[in-house]
Amino acid sequence: MAELTLRNLTKIYNPGTPAAVEQLSLEIRDGEFIALLGPSGCGKSTTLRMVAGLETVTSGEILIGKKTVNQTHPKDRGVGLAFENYALYPPLRVRDNLAFNLKAHGVSGREVEKRVAEIAKYLHIGDLLDLKPAALSSGQKQRVNMARAMIRRPAVLLLDEPLSHLDARLRVQMRTEIKRLHAEQRFTTIIVTHDQLEAMALANRIAVLHDGRLQQFDTPLEVFNHPANEFVAGFLGEPPMNIFEVTMDAGSRLVVPGTDFTLPLNDKLQRLFGSRAGAKFGVRPWGVKVSSTQSGGSVPGTVSVVENLGDETHVGVRYGEILLMASIPVTDRFKPGSKVQLTFNQDDLNLFDATTGDRL
Amino acid sequence: MHESVSFFGLVGRVSKTLLLLVYALFALFPLLWMVIMSLKPDSQMFTTTFLFSPTVENYSAVFLRSDYSHFFFNNLTVSISAVLLSLIVGVPAAYALARFQFKLKEDIAFTILSFRFAPEILVILPLFLIYQKTGLYDTYFGLIWVYQLITLPLLIWILRGYFEDISPDIEAAAQLDGYSWWQVFLKVLLPLVKPGLVAAGLLCFIFAWNAFTFPLLLSDARAQTSTVVALRFLASDTVHYGQVAAAATISALPEVILALLIQKHLVRGLSFGAVKG
Amino acid sequence: MASVHLHELTKWYGKRRGIEDVTLDIADQEFMTIFGPAGAGKTTTLNLIAGIVAPNRGGIRIGGRDVDGLEPADRNVAMVFESYALYPQMTVFQNMAFPLRSPKHRTSARELEERVRRYAKMMKIDHLLQRPIQALSNGQRQRTALGRALVRQPDVFLMDEPLSHLDAKLRHSMRAELKEMRSQLGTTTVYVTHDYLEAMSLGDRIAVINLGRLQQVGTPKEIYFTPASVEVARLFGDPEINVIGARLRSKPDGLAGLQILGENIPIGVPSDVVSLLNGAETVKLGVRPSDIEIAENNGAGNFHGLVYSFEPLGTKSVLTIDASDGSRIRALIDGHRTFEVDRRIQFRIDPRSLVFFETEKEGFLAKSRLNRQEAGDG
Repeated sequence: MAELTLRNLTKIYNPGTPAAVEQLSLEIRDGEFIALLGPSGCGKSTTLRMVAGLETVTSGEILIGKKTVNQTHPKDRGVGLAFENYALYPPLRVRDNLAFNLKAHGVSGREVEKRVAEIAKYLHIGDLLDLKPAALSSGQKQRVNMARAMIRRPAVLLLDEPLSHLDARLRVQMRTEIKRLHAEQRFTTIIVTHDQLEAMALANRIAVLHDGRLQQFDTPLEVFNHPANEFVAGFLGEPPMNIFEVTMDAGSRLVVPGTDFTLPLNDKLQRLFGSRAGAKFGVRPWGVKVSSTQSGGSVPGTVSVVENLGDETHVGVRYGEILLMASIPVTDRFKPGSKVQLTFNQDDLNLFDATTGDRL
Repeated sequence: MHESVSFFGLVGRVSKTLLLLVYALFALFPLLWMVIMSLKPDSQMFTTTFLFSPTVENYSAVFLRSDYSHFFFNNLTVSISAVLLSLIVGVPAAYALARFQFKLKEDIAFTILSFRFAPEILVILPLFLIYQKTGLYDTYFGLIWVYQLITLPLLIWILRGYFEDISPDIEAAAQLDGYSWWQVFLKVLLPLVKPGLVAAGLLCFIFAWNAFTFPLLLSDARAQTSTVVALRFLASDTVHYGQVAAAATISALPEVILALLIQKHLVRGLSFGAVKG
Repeated sequence: MASVHLHELTKWYGKRRGIEDVTLDIADQEFMTIFGPAGAGKTTTLNLIAGIVAPNRGGIRIGGRDVDGLEPADRNVAMVFESYALYPQMTVFQNMAFPLRSPKHRTSARELEERVRRYAKMMKIDHLLQRPIQALSNGQRQRTALGRALVRQPDVFLMDEPLSHLDAKLRHSMRAELKEMRSQLGTTTVYVTHDYLEAMSLGDRIAVINLGRLQQVGTPKEIYFTPASVEVARLFGDPEINVIGARLRSKPDGLAGLQILGENIPIGVPSDVVSLLNGAETVKLGVRPSDIEIAENNGAGNFHGLVYSFEPLGTKSVLTIDASDGSRIRALIDGHRTFEVDRRIQFRIDPRSLVFFETEKEGFLAKSRLNRQEAGDG
């Protein structure tokens, strides 16, 4: 177990093409669980593969412990990688799959047996040790895959989309198991995922990547509640944050031109908006209160769609091209066509620059 | 850092181009030599320099003073007809093998392909006897029929891949849109397999055009093709290498012209799975 | 516009069951979602209605007309495929116009142009009409596929997981937009999905299907609050419902009480519910994660447990708890609180929202009382 540091890590596959990873710097503490989160093609898997040593580094440095490992062979880096597609050796029993790289490193037979038994207990695969991979369900394969990555007691554990091939029910179960395992074992862990719920549920800190660049690196709640820019704001949260373009009228109110959306801003937000012509306005569905009575600063609207989802109710209010979604208590009842008043908690509002997308 | 990368990149690209040029010369040399030979008079035939007095003598000998043109058109007739027949039979067969589930499907498909594995010389003797008896010997139809052994397996296998690449949903969608199955086939499926159709058709034509064993043994003066007849210039007292070369050059022309005309389709068509929406 | 009636519909693919004995009435202008896990037989049902596959047994009536044996083209239904099934060699306009150029639905050039433009505008793809399909994003393809189904103005819409290939963000907004659009269309729709949120949001009613058999048909509320079986209950809700074994005890005051989670905290069961339990001594209780509340202080009615795992999800968090008897349950709690692993906690279970199932067959018996949710409905 060790800390892991990335310094200005850059990967360019073909000269002249955009970098797959650009100037990525992360400091990961010993025992920390980090998620690399982003859409496909954002550079998260490339980063993981560079740390594992499966991909050369164009420039920058990778340090495990205090040691630079740029030139170290993958097997000597002390990393354990659980592959997305499991990559178990089909002819070997689970037991031998687990023992495989211990034996390659010359660990004695008794020690191998002890470690296999130990890891099997942690991952609840004791009953599977004498089966071949073909006889395992996908959830079981994933457990064996993780056990194989962990059995060497790596300095850094790398998980590449470990849950993406599991069905929804199993995914939620495995998520809990991984979280628990980390709480017990405290491996320094990096998980690569495109699923924001997975990242939030598991990680101590999340690094959000987009087009090879780091967008934000912070705790899940901080990333969720104070997104650094429009991309992060839109990527996290389900249902997604309402984000749309607004301008400011003479009375310092936010307006969506051509609609009756007019929202008076408090002093702080007015200051943030400054003298610009327009900006992007962002509010999570939970940050919108819907009521049938008018109050100071409320925005009038007409309910356009109502979704009853059991534990939640979503209400959509249309302003021209914009369908503003609000998540409301299930006890509140509105019908399409109802006239409503929307109120916003000004602390929950986000303003982003219209061109750069940066948070104001 | 960036500069050095692009420097190495440049060196890499130049050396790659050079290597490709060398290979192209190496590969094209026999063809070039053939064309040169066809333009040489017999007297200079065995000089190895590239300096010679060009002449069209060989071409006029082949075309004007022999019946080569007759056999050239024979080849054209037989090959084109063989490809057309293969298309008519092969397209539905490929579709059926791609879409329908029936007993022995894979066995049938494999049997069809296996016709391509068997050396022609293996079946030629019984065929020769049958053709003699049935009067198919030395007829156009006889050759067209036996050419199916060459063209049909190839066509079916290429097109089957194409049909398999088209989602059955697309067919169902078009049927729900109000079209009968035949209209769906003509308006939706055929345009989608067109690149494959062109590529497979061209390949079939080339194989049919180059066929040698079948026309050599199953035809004579009437239906014989140019591939066989070119040999005649080697025969008897002297060998007219110039005339052989001229005949071969002319023989190669239709293939080259066709390939150039439909180059675009050919490249797309041979990279399978080009239909993906 | 038409009703759809499926009668004992059965389809086998060789030895594999597609669906068996599915009987379902879909009213005119109703939006019916068919919901189930992968391989449940949802798409088979849709393909049978469309006429793409033929049933082994049973029949289908559309608008009172027997359509068995009719070609897909003659059923006047339009379908949106999971794969979109757009014609890759055509532009968006040509794709949308394709049905209107068919012999069955031939339309004059002017009307065709007008209709394609109207529905393209509705689907917000009117600026893309001349684009080839290959140049479209997933979301745009999906809209084109919907548009192509709409221009026909068919009797019935069939939609096969139309949102499943969109990313999570787009799926949420398209779902809301689809629901918004529903009122403008007013056409009978059969919508297949494996996403319970889509099923609940869009459907007037939901038909839950699993392993080729119909499990339950009802409004979203009926299915969510009175699921026909443990299996159905588990399919709706994320994280899924907790199923807890319970023993029925009679209390001194004559009422029945439940003993659960290895603790001696009887939960009262109203007498009208007891009568529904068929004298069973043990039952299975369904408790939604959102009906478990973490107690701030010690209390007589509190259950005890250890935090097994804590997963924050933004506005909500999932807390996995090991209860006193070792069973593991999940609670969905407010996102502002955090919990350390292995911490001792106390929690309460809302007695008003319990669902009772048979122990053996796991069929629905009763539910404790009106839920808060339904009470709010008036």
